This record gives sequence, structure tokens and C-alpha cells, in this order.
Amino acid sequence: MSLLRKLLKPFFVVAPYVFRNSQTIAFPTERPMFTERFRGRHKLVIEECISCGTCQRVCPCNSIQMVDVPGKEKKFPQIDYQTCSFCGYCVEFCPKHCIVFTDLVEFAVTDRSKLVYSPQQLTEVPDLKEILPMLKYRTEKYLTKTEKKYRRVKEL
Amino acid sequence: MTEPLIPPDVMRVSWGPQHPMSGQTRILLDIDGERVHKIIADLGFTHRGIEKILENRTFFQGVIPIERMVMADTANIGLGYITAIEEALGIQVPERAQWIRSLLCEMGRINSHLYAFGLQAEATGYFPAVFLWTTTDRTLLLDLFEELTGARWSYNFFLPGGVYKDFPERFQEKIIEAVHYLRRRFQDYWDAMVENAVFEMRCNDVAVLKPEDAIYLGATGPVLRGSGIAMDVRRDEPYAAYGDLDFQVITEQACDVMARTKVRFKEIGQSLNMMEQIANEIPGGEIRARASPFMRGKEAEVLSRVETARGELQIHLYTEATPNPYRVKINSPTLRNMYVFERLAELNEILVADIPVVINSIDPWYLDSDR
Amino acid sequence: MDATLFLKTAMTYALLPANTRASTTTFTLSMITDFIWNLPGYTLEFLMFNAKPLLQILILPGLAFILVFAIIAVWFERKFLARAMLRVGPYYCGKRSGLLQVFADFLKLFMKEIIIPKDMNFLFFASMPVLVSTLPAMALILIPFDQNWVLWNVGSVSLPMFFAIAGLAPLLPVFAGWAANNKYTFIGAFRVAYMYISAEIPLVICAASVAIMAGSFDLLKIVEAQQSMWFAVPQFLGFLIFFLGVMIEAERTPFDIPVAEVELVLGWRTEYSGILFGFTMMAEYVLFQAWTLLFITLYLGGFNGPVILGMTTASHIFWLLAKFAFIVVLIILIRCVFPRLRLDQMLNLGWRYLTPLAVLNLVIVLGLKVLGVY
Repeated sequence: MSLLRKLLKPFFVVAPYVFRNSQTIAFPTERPMFTERFRGRHKLVIEECISCGTCQRVCPCNSIQMVDVPGKEKKFPQIDYQTCSFCGYCVEFCPKHCIVFTDLVEFAVTDRSKLVYSPQQLTEVPDLKEILPMLKYRTEKYLTKTEKKYRRVKEL
Repeated sequence: MTEPLIPPDVMRVSWGPQHPMSGQTRILLDIDGERVHKIIADLGFTHRGIEKILENRTFFQGVIPIERMVMADTANIGLGYITAIEEALGIQVPERAQWIRSLLCEMGRINSHLYAFGLQAEATGYFPAVFLWTTTDRTLLLDLFEELTGARWSYNFFLPGGVYKDFPERFQEKIIEAVHYLRRRFQDYWDAMVENAVFEMRCNDVAVLKPEDAIYLGATGPVLRGSGIAMDVRRDEPYAAYGDLDFQVITEQACDVMARTKVRFKEIGQSLNMMEQIANEIPGGEIRARASPFMRGKEAEVLSRVETARGELQIHLYTEATPNPYRVKINSPTLRNMYVFERLAELNEILVADIPVVINSIDPWYLDSDR
Repeated sequence: MDATLFLKTAMTYALLPANTRASTTTFTLSMITDFIWNLPGYTLEFLMFNAKPLLQILILPGLAFILVFAIIAVWFERKFLARAMLRVGPYYCGKRSGLLQVFADFLKLFMKEIIIPKDMNFLFFASMPVLVSTLPAMALILIPFDQNWVLWNVGSVSLPMFFAIAGLAPLLPVFAGWAANNKYTFIGAFRVAYMYISAEIPLVICAASVAIMAGSFDLLKIVEAQQSMWFAVPQFLGFLIFFLGVMIEAERTPFDIPVAEVELVLGWRTEYSGILFGFTMMAEYVLFQAWTLLFITLYLGGFNGPVILGMTTASHIFWLLAKFAFIVVLIILIRCVFPRLRLDQMLNLGWRYLTPLAVLNLVIVLGLKVLGVY
């Protein structure tokens, strides 16, 4: 009868899950592969910037200021990551395409003033091995008939 | 807020902000034993002044704050604001952009309904399995979002005039693969959760909302459709390619908590059908009409309605000849459904143990009601 | 004078302060030194005489068994539930297996401050966790692990003794919930009272029918009467009712109504912090252990099982622990699968379904006894 089926069927549905793969990515040793369009930290190509100021005018969060850089006459953008919402307008509306996104997401600092990235800091993109010394490999997902699994893609 | 006086023989419990299940709100319950006499909802803990913020941003910049109203289905809410802007400023959107917008809206709807389903499972005490299975399936959808738009939760993909970018390569095959995978998974949910003897005991005949009460009190979304009334903005006033997609408006006749849960569950199935249809039949063409980020408006007054996962969202927009809108008024679905929730204690006999179950059948998102 | 006498005298004089009078002081001190000198001999004789009771108190079924089970059960439950949720559970403490996580949590709880709100009855409040974790332990030591391995052998009244002691256990959360001066704990407290009132009666009737079929109230004789067939088979109804009763008494999902985290923040346990909270967590597992062992003794044959390699005591203990592990895993799996019942649905279940079925079970047992089958 249907009451017995409703009492017993959940057991047979839930019990196989104990033997399945877990969906956790153990973060300091593994890191997922992000796609090409992923919006992480910005990267500025300082030679191509024409200092038009469009990124400053278009930013909805007032995170970009044009500041002086020692050694050059023009002003270049400085991004304040305390308020940046990673919307992508500065990347989209830059006429020379000199701000792009990378896939760095590890920003944590202990002093809040370090989150304001000057133009020189925006130009350099550190290697992942320096930021996460425990990182071993990058993972990617693939779908099987019943579960979603992760596999190693790139050993570091 | 000034609370009414406590009547005699009643204990007032603050199901308050410091609680594992309350969310970001405070609900005062007048309890006598296990029975709840009165529910008073004290909203406003997360008011951020989005309507005022929008007055100080241009049209393009304003899309960013308003999408953060509900983080689970940001696509629907952003679409509401953008259709209002396009109607006010007279921008024509190409057809391929409308289809891509519908695809994102449906994926957002599945995301939000899965989250609500998992919370409902947690509220009945079924803390393990189902809540985290839904999180696992949602990461599949989030990976698809990341591939298309670049961000997982707050994509800001819609711009006035179209969408941001086109499909990457082989994206349509990935959508179809994800749709087939999710359909197989939902059979598991149905067997383990909805057809579970104890879950039915908890959810049947609890908090019945009759159809005439639903219309009188102003319910919207799955709350309304769970009481048997078929009202859906996608069918009544089609926007953004919904006129070309074929789907059914799901209603249930039982009017209780179980009916609303089943409405949400079956709507996921309809959304999956729509996603498959879009991936197969999307027309070609441009994806963005030309619109400058610094454009000025003209004098207009527009009301736009969209169907978010929680109900109907209305955006009433006044523009003048300035780069910023003059006034934006947002009428959110959760605010109206919370009013229905308060009156449910007078219409039915609700016990304290039912409160989390009933709240999650209304599916509130408190940032949505507080804006 | 031999060496021992010399050393003893030297010890006596070493303990004397300077310039004291001799004779009585020296005599007392020499008695003390005599005792200290003979202490290793006395200890060895004590241990050899009382080896088995000491082993029972400290290892099995006493202190070590209860604590080790609580630790392993917490770890296993967290890992098992995590696998059902497609997670990994405790991972980093203890080399990717999380075995030390329970110790880490316990240590953390020791070091936290015990917060005492105003207007609280602190005497009741602080004494309840200690009582509620040691009272079921007192009931647990009645269970026989072998013919002559019973820690507290009260002879012919062990079954009613168990119910008498473990029946005090529901009273303690009521005190704790009232004493904490908090609305949530108060609701949790009266839910405990409602739940146990409706659950005890079918349990006692089922236990009585087992005692009738075995012919005695002694737990040892009940186990011996099941050597041919476990009592689960002729008393199938009683088996199911007692299984539900075990889950109700131990407050496990689907019956963990007094501690319902989504409605009342941990019910009667809300105001506890620090080591008192650790005691309430342990109490849940000790109660669970006591009732599950009783269930196995009454219905699943206790320690009966085929003898392995000719060692009767060890194999009896092994079979009891194996059945115990199986039932524990089954109850944890039930937690994965079902949501929680509401209070009035549980009262409905207890009064409307379980009590008449328990009486029916009693009638069937009486019928079998009269017909001479048992």
C-alpha cells in the first residue's frame, strides 16, 4: 500500500548517496578552473592607456580614481577593492581595451588600506603558486549519469 | 516599531534575528501553549535605500544596485528595471537578445526554486540530504552562468539595449546536457522528499489559503498559483520572448503548504523545457542595440511587470531629461506575501512547529521586502 | 639489623622534625612508614582480588565504553550524514579523516565561558547536564554482556530497575528548561513532558509482555530464554513499537521535538554554553546507548550468538557489540531520511496507535503462553 511505499522508498533513494563522490573541493590544495570570461581581479596594461577617464565615469560604485604615477605625466586608474562590485563596465567601455579581468580571487589582507590597488600594482599579476603555496592541482567538473564528479586538469 | 499590547494569557516570543532559521527578520508570535494566536512581522532589518540609490545613478549604472535585491534570481529583477528603461527611452531590442534574456531568466528561476525547496526541506527538520543536494545542483547552474556571463551570482549581464556578450562556443550543447542531467536528478527529489510519508504529514492541510482569500489579501507568485488561480505575468503580458515559448502555468487545487511546494517543483520542470527549447530554436542576429552609457532620458512614466521566482515585481519609473531617473518605485513580491503570512494565523490554526514550514512555503527573501 | 629495617628506621627519623619528643610520635610515624612501605604489596593484592569488577567499571560496560562510544558515535554521525549530503565532514583534524575533531571540539568547549543570565536558578541549571548524562549511565550498567559479566547484578528485578532509573531521565530537561528563564527553553521543557508521557506507556507494556514470555524480570533470564528464537519473531508488533520507543526516548529524529533547531533554538539546551553544553551533547548519546542496549537485550537476543573459537565470554561480548553497531547505524540512517514530526502528530501516534497495538501485543503473548507454545 502507498503508506508503506512512502515509508520505505526514501531509504532506497537516500542510501546510495553515502557511496557517491563528495562535491567538496579541498581549497588550499585544489582550486577549480575558472572560465575565460571569469571576473576576478583587474589587470591594467599601462602602455596602452590613454587616460580618457571613461572607466572612472562609468563605474557605478565610485571605485576608480585617476591618480598620478611617478615617472609618467598622465594619470592612470586606481581601483579600490573595498567598493568594487566586479560589474565589468570599466572593461566593457574602455576604448583601448587596456583593463581586463584575470582569475585571481584571493584578496584577503589584514590592513584595509592595502585593498586600494595603485596602477603599478594593477599591472602585475602574481603567479598562483606565490599566493597559495599549498596548491597542488586545478580541478574541473564533468557529469556522469548519476553524479557530478571532479577531475584534476592541471598539476602545478 | 510600536508593538501592540500583549493580551492576557499569552506569551510573546520573538522569533527574532538571533535565530538559526529566521533569516534577517523578526517575527513576533503570540503563543498560548503550542497554538499561535497572532503573527506580527517586523520587517526592515536590511533596508538599504535602493530606491534612493537609483536616483543618484545613471541608467546604465543603476542596473548594478537593483540586481542585488534578490541574489538568487538576479536576472528577473534586472530585467524588470531594464524593460522599464527601454520603454521609457524608446530603445528597440533585437530578437536574439530577447531570447538570451529569457534563457537567463529561466535559469535564475530554477536556481531560486531549488533554493526554496531546500529551505523547505530544512524547515521540516529534514536537515541532511535534500538541502545540500539542491546546493550541488545549483552549482551546476552557477557554472553555466559563469561560462556565459563571467560571474556566478550577480551577473549584470543585461544592459539597456540588449545583452552584454554572445554565447561562447558549444554553449548550447552544454545547456542541453545540463537539462537532461537535472531532469534525472529531480526524480530523486520527488521520491525521497515529496513522496515521503513524514513530509506529507507535516505539509498536508497546513495553512490553507482559499482562492477568494488569496485574491482579497493580494498574494502573488506560487502562493497564488498554489490556491488554484492561474495568474502569471509571462502568460498575461508577455515580455522578452515569452510569447514564442510554450509553457504551462502550473496550479494546484489543494491550497496548502504541500500545494505550494509542488507548484514550485513543477515550475522547475517547465523552466527546463523552456531552456531546452531556447537552446534548440534561438534565432541569429545582433545582440545589442546602440545605447550610450551617458545618455539622457526624456519625460516618461512607465510601469513594467515581470514574473520573478517569488511573484510579480512591478517597477514604476519616472524619467525626465536628465541622465538619472527621477523616481523609481519598486513593488516587491515578498512584501505582499508577508502580509498574507500575517493573516494566515487568523484564517487557520497554526502551531509553533508549523511556523518555519509555513514561512518557507511563502518563500520570502527579506532583502526583497526591505529593498 | 637487615637492610629493610635500617631503611624503615631511617625513613621514620627523616620524617621527624628536629627537637621532638620520642616514643608516641615515633610510634605513629613508624605506623605511617609501615603503611607506605607495604603499599605496593597492598595494591597488588587489591587488584588481583578485584580484577574483574574493576575491569567492568573502567572498561566494559563502564567508563571507557560509554565515553568511547560517545566519541565514536559523534564522529561517525558527522561523517555519515556528510556523505549522505555529498560532503566530506570533518576533514583536516587528524590527517584527512577528522578523527581528532571530536577531541578538538571538546577542548574548545572546556575553554569557553559559562554565561549566566540574570534571574536564573543556577543550582538547577548547572546540575542538570551532569545528572542527565550520568543517570542513563546508571541504567546502562544493568545490561548483561555475558552470563557472569553484569556490572550491577540486582538479580531478579533488573528490568523494572532499568525503567525506574531511565524513567527519571525525562524529568531533568523539564527542570533545566524552567530554570533557564527563557521562553524558548520553556517551550522545549513542556514539549519534553508531553512527549515522554505519551511514549512511556507503550514501552512499559511491551517490556512487560517480553517478561511474561520469558517468565522472569531478570535480564539474564530473558536473554537465556531467547537462545532458541529471538523474541522479535513472535512479538513482531512489540518489536516495531519498541524500536519507535527507542527513538522517542533517545530524542532522535524523527522525534527530536524538544530540540528542534529550526523552531526553538535548541529547546531546553539553548542557554548552556561551555562544558555544560558538552555534557548535554554527551547526554544524548548516553541515553541513546542505554535504550538501544535494552532493545537488543529484550528483542534481538542480547548476547546470544554462535561461539567463536571456543571463547564464550569474548564471543558473547562481540555479538552484543555487533548487533549494537548495526542498530546504531540503522537509527542514524533513519535520521538521514525522514523529517521531524510535529508534537501533536507524535502524541497522536503514541496514544492512538502505539498504545492499542502494545495491548494487542500483550494479548497475543498471553495467548501464546496459554496455548503452551512458550
